[in-house]
Amino acid sequence: MTAEILAPFLPRKHGSADDGLPEGVLGGRLARIDGPAKVTGAAAFSLEHRPEGLVYMALVRAPVAAGALTVDAEAARAAPGVVATLTPETFPALASASDWTGAPGPEGPWRPIGPEARWMGQPVAAVVAETWEEAAEAAALVRISGEDGAAFASDLHAPDAPEGFAMEPADIVWGDAEAALAGAETVIEATYRTPREHHVAIEPHGMIAQWDGDRLTIHEPSQWVDGMARAHAERFGIPFENVRIVSPYIGGGFGSKAMAYAWSALAIQAARDLGRPVKLALTRAQTFTALGGRAATRSTLRIGADAEGKLVGIDLNSASETSLDAIWPENPGPPASEMYAVPNFRARHRLVQVNSVTPGALRAPGESPGAFGLECAMDELAWALRMDPLSLRLKNYAETDPRSGKPWSTRRLREAFAAGAERFGWWDRPLAPRSMREGRELIGWGMASGAFPVINTPAEARVRIGTDGRAEVLSGGTEMGQGTYTILAQTAAEAIGLPAGAVSVRLGDSELPGAPVSGGSQLANLMTGAVMKAARAARDELVALALTHPASPLRDAGNDLEISGGRLRAPRDGGEGVSIADLFAATGAPGIDVMRDTLPEGSTAQDRFETFTTVTRMGRGANSPTASMSWIAHFAEVRVDEDFGTVRLSRLVSAVDAGRLYNPRLAESQVKGGAIMGIGMALLEEGVIDRRFGRAINDNLGDYLAPTQADVPGIEVIDVGVPDYDASALGGKAVGEIGIVGVAPAIANAVFHATGKRIRDLPITLEKVLETPAFA
Amino acid sequence: MKNFDYIRPETAAEARDAAARPGARLLAGGTTLVDLARAGAETPDLVVDISRLAAAEPRLGAIEALEGEGGSGGETLRLGALVTMARAEADPTLRLAAPAVAQSLALAASPQIRNMATLGGNLLQRTRCPYFRDPAAFPSCNKRAPGSGCSALGGPWKGRAALGATASCVAAYPGDLAAALVAFDAVVEIAGPEGVRDLPVAGLFLTPLDAGSAARDTGLAPGEMIEGIRLPASAAAARSTYLKIRDRASYEFATVGVAAGLDLGPDGTVRDARIALTGVAPVPLRARAAEAALLGAPLTEEAAARAGRLAFAPDPAGPDSDAPDPGAARFKLTLGPRVVARALLTLGGLA
Amino acid sequence: MSPHPSPNPTSPASASAPATIPILRAGATRRPVRLTINGTERTLLLEPRASLLDALREGAGLTGTKKGCDHGQCGACTVHLDGQRALACLTLAVQAEGREITTIEGLAETAADPEADPVLHAVQRAFIDRDAFQCGYCTPGQIMSAVACIREGRTGSDDEIREAMSGNLCRCGAYPHIVAAVRQAAEELA
Repeated sequence: MTAEILAPFLPRKHGSADDGLPEGVLGGRLARIDGPAKVTGAAAFSLEHRPEGLVYMALVRAPVAAGALTVDAEAARAAPGVVATLTPETFPALASASDWTGAPGPEGPWRPIGPEARWMGQPVAAVVAETWEEAAEAAALVRISGEDGAAFASDLHAPDAPEGFAMEPADIVWGDAEAALAGAETVIEATYRTPREHHVAIEPHGMIAQWDGDRLTIHEPSQWVDGMARAHAERFGIPFENVRIVSPYIGGGFGSKAMAYAWSALAIQAARDLGRPVKLALTRAQTFTALGGRAATRSTLRIGADAEGKLVGIDLNSASETSLDAIWPENPGPPASEMYAVPNFRARHRLVQVNSVTPGALRAPGESPGAFGLECAMDELAWALRMDPLSLRLKNYAETDPRSGKPWSTRRLREAFAAGAERFGWWDRPLAPRSMREGRELIGWGMASGAFPVINTPAEARVRIGTDGRAEVLSGGTEMGQGTYTILAQTAAEAIGLPAGAVSVRLGDSELPGAPVSGGSQLANLMTGAVMKAARAARDELVALALTHPASPLRDAGNDLEISGGRLRAPRDGGEGVSIADLFAATGAPGIDVMRDTLPEGSTAQDRFETFTTVTRMGRGANSPTASMSWIAHFAEVRVDEDFGTVRLSRLVSAVDAGRLYNPRLAESQVKGGAIMGIGMALLEEGVIDRRFGRAINDNLGDYLAPTQADVPGIEVIDVGVPDYDASALGGKAVGEIGIVGVAPAIANAVFHATGKRIRDLPITLEKVLETPAFA
Repeated sequence: MKNFDYIRPETAAEARDAAARPGARLLAGGTTLVDLARAGAETPDLVVDISRLAAAEPRLGAIEALEGEGGSGGETLRLGALVTMARAEADPTLRLAAPAVAQSLALAASPQIRNMATLGGNLLQRTRCPYFRDPAAFPSCNKRAPGSGCSALGGPWKGRAALGATASCVAAYPGDLAAALVAFDAVVEIAGPEGVRDLPVAGLFLTPLDAGSAARDTGLAPGEMIEGIRLPASAAAARSTYLKIRDRASYEFATVGVAAGLDLGPDGTVRDARIALTGVAPVPLRARAAEAALLGAPLTEEAAARAGRLAFAPDPAGPDSDAPDPGAARFKLTLGPRVVARALLTLGGLA
Repeated sequence: MSPHPSPNPTSPASASAPATIPILRAGATRRPVRLTINGTERTLLLEPRASLLDALREGAGLTGTKKGCDHGQCGACTVHLDGQRALACLTLAVQAEGREITTIEGLAETAADPEADPVLHAVQRAFIDRDAFQCGYCTPGQIMSAVACIREGRTGSDDEIREAMSGNLCRCGAYPHIVAAVRQAAEELA
């Protein structure tokens, strides 16, 4: 039945609505312009900068999770090649950096290393030596002893984990969920858990710090050069302008390279003391404890429906872990509130402080673990009602934002369901679990959906047109694989009328025009917006030059000119026109250089500073008349060898509405990449915490199992989006994170369909499949 | 990594001399030693690079069929200790003579590592125990520092041993190749200061109980070096398979690995059965009771399941009074028998 | 292949090596190591413990070969040694003396005109065509691995490519496009 209901929503054609455009304009499938540098090894990442006189720093970590520490660096100091040791005893006082809202840190001195362990693996000392090998050896000679028996909390899922505290301001309530659930025909209740997950970007974190007087230059992979420069400047008491962060390429960030972590002050301090550039490259193991991954979460959901499957109430009680030092909520509440039309809703979240490094943003924070609970619970409800899970979702389709009541800017989730279901063959799915088998493998089909909010921050951009006729785009925005270089070249090429090959782009340098954090899937929208504005202004100046300069061959050729392929001509001229280089040659003009921003009219220098160095200007604003999100529907097929408990994903179809895609080739890659991280989340990834020590024991890439090539089947991404000019200036929504949202529940639901086993704590490892009874 | 002296001897004799010195470690492919040295779990004073010895000692790098050897109608295959995993896995003779051995290599590590790692080095790889591998965080490890205790005991490491663990060490032996060699009665040729000796692969490995200490993985004496592996031909080896179970589809150590071989008579009766396990105990285990139970009867689902159970039954002769709770590896006692059964059924065409 | 005597050795071994064997002593720290990288001989001052990876990146300034884990668990440092793919992080630099080392920088052919862009290898071109990378950090290792994978003839099916390329982690998740790129390059090179 549902197949017919969805028929009108099938997009007329698959692929981008903009397919067929020339490559060089927005919406075209231009290959990455940073591709040649990346495939030849010429692209130099931050830690590959090689200044004269470089020395190497190695970190030393706390061997215990709590209590006073004694740090003895004497042996390290005497080791060959060592030029400095940094210990809590001798480390000078710095100042706190403000947080990402710009709120100042605590008054008084701040030190990145202290005499007390807050978590096991906390960086608490460092060694600097002439070579990397010497630094690493000397670091192992630093003796750190901890206090015996200091109490600590290991993790959220420990049986003795603290209860934590309620985060009441984050409660989301409408209607009366309790009463609705009491009167519901069918109620399902279940608790879902996600473990600590780690970014494991293949490029480890680190920096090269170098001082020149009171000016500091830092080569560091950074998703936010301005925000991190601000933190470094505040800590070391120098003007913001005196800090330059250079980050032309980022070897994977996923949220982990947007903050100035405390340990970075060690390298900066050492560089200042030694008067030499210092390189600190974290070891892979250190990346597990020097920065936080996704916090573990627990979601207890109750969902009630009437006999027809219409939802009457949702109640969510959730918790996530954070550190002793900071509040980081990984809150499943918002995602639970945005998917379904439900008249009664309540979501409450608690935070549990444990002895771990402060968790951080990992691709789709909140949304990704939130979708796991909600979308598994919907699957459980569907089975309880003996309803098709997709039909249940359509029955409760949210035509408007259930939370705010606002209309959606666009919500083509129904189109995503239709296209994904058709491509996957969903309508042939038998309702009952354990219905499909091939040899000794059980086969299951599962689906889930997800969302990610569209947010925006103003930005600025500079566009230059040189006398050689080439254009250059300059921005402090960053490239970590999203395709920033490429889509900004397309933007400028389109605006000016150049071939994309005639545009070069410089990114990732805090000396360049300001940009907010590359996070929240916002960068593509806000940077194309700013670059389009600047490039159009540059084009206008170019046209003005051609029409008004006494020596211009096009002087007085009309009111406007056409520019295409880098040549200017009068409208309806049809002739060869004049190349931009020839125009500059004829006029002797020095080129064109314009800077534009998308800040509100009348913004001050302070506004500009706060826009680029805090998250306070991020969002769509409560006054926006619409709610705006990207949407996705995933359809997964798994094969489960029940004897062994092994689950292999054999197919994945993901239909996505992310508005207009500025470059469908690159956007599709990003959605697939998100989905693949979701495969890891579903089946493999987990920081295995030894509660006796308070640390993950699998702090390496052999034991923290990110998916390999062999874990990933063919993935089909279907674009069902349309330009949404309400969501952003150029019609895009959010691409970077939506891909992961909903993959884990789609796979978990497929495992249930294959086996009848409902596994509610991720990842779905083989021993869980072995030990979970069917239909329990 | 602590610094070390490095020496690249020209002959096997020189290498053995150097290896006899205190603190010396042999370096072949480097995939175990360099890894563990960087982790701080190995602290060699002298690294003896034997990776090019085959130039002077061709037998170390050769795969050869030894004529006139081998019992049941085939030749014994001799694999030089410095043959890389990649070369062995691709060797047509080996693939024919003992598919389980070739598969155990092909399913291990990654192609890059298999290009580097040698067969001798593969046998001598050490446990993946995360507590063993991280001395800075976990000073207590009897395998690293005898008498310091076992950090892994009672911890959440699911890769630990489910069989044969002791309170002094719960580490599991991780290698795939060793299980396949143990199943088919392969022998290692060992050269040392006292001359040359042969040892069944099964006898090379020592449990903490055998050795009296978790620190010692094998019976090799200082200065002894594996020079080759002899794999006798057998009908069971020719009809064999290696089944490796793990969460990740590739590039992961075995949660449970099973090498199995069968010789079936014309009427389907099991004439010979070979079963060996890895990833479940301190050493690769030959499951002799399970093998015996299969003999003389046709292979059936039931027989295979029974063999699986026997393979994972506590050894009645073993001193299991000392055996700690299998803890995080308890599930292997459920999983393991099924892997054995499936491997057998695959060989019998019943899977 | 190293025996593990117990208890742990205590005395350093550098005292009495036979004089005939060249020995590289820890105490003498760095000594010249001659490496043939991309057809060019380079002499670097290195300690015995220096990895080939650090020698390439820090010593020779060839940073195309990436460090992702330093323990043989990610494949980002894949290079070719005598034409075969290997991990530079688990190879001591001294071990690579006298062997042909090929890195990502040596893969493209330099055109006759030194000013011209290098001619990309078919695999490099295929990676761009198929958008087989995002951040680009694992990419040199993927490409070196892919070139070897094709040379090894492991491109018979997508599943075969997947297994043969499983030693190279990609966290951005370019895997399906890497398979497509390997397939395309294999066809071109066939």
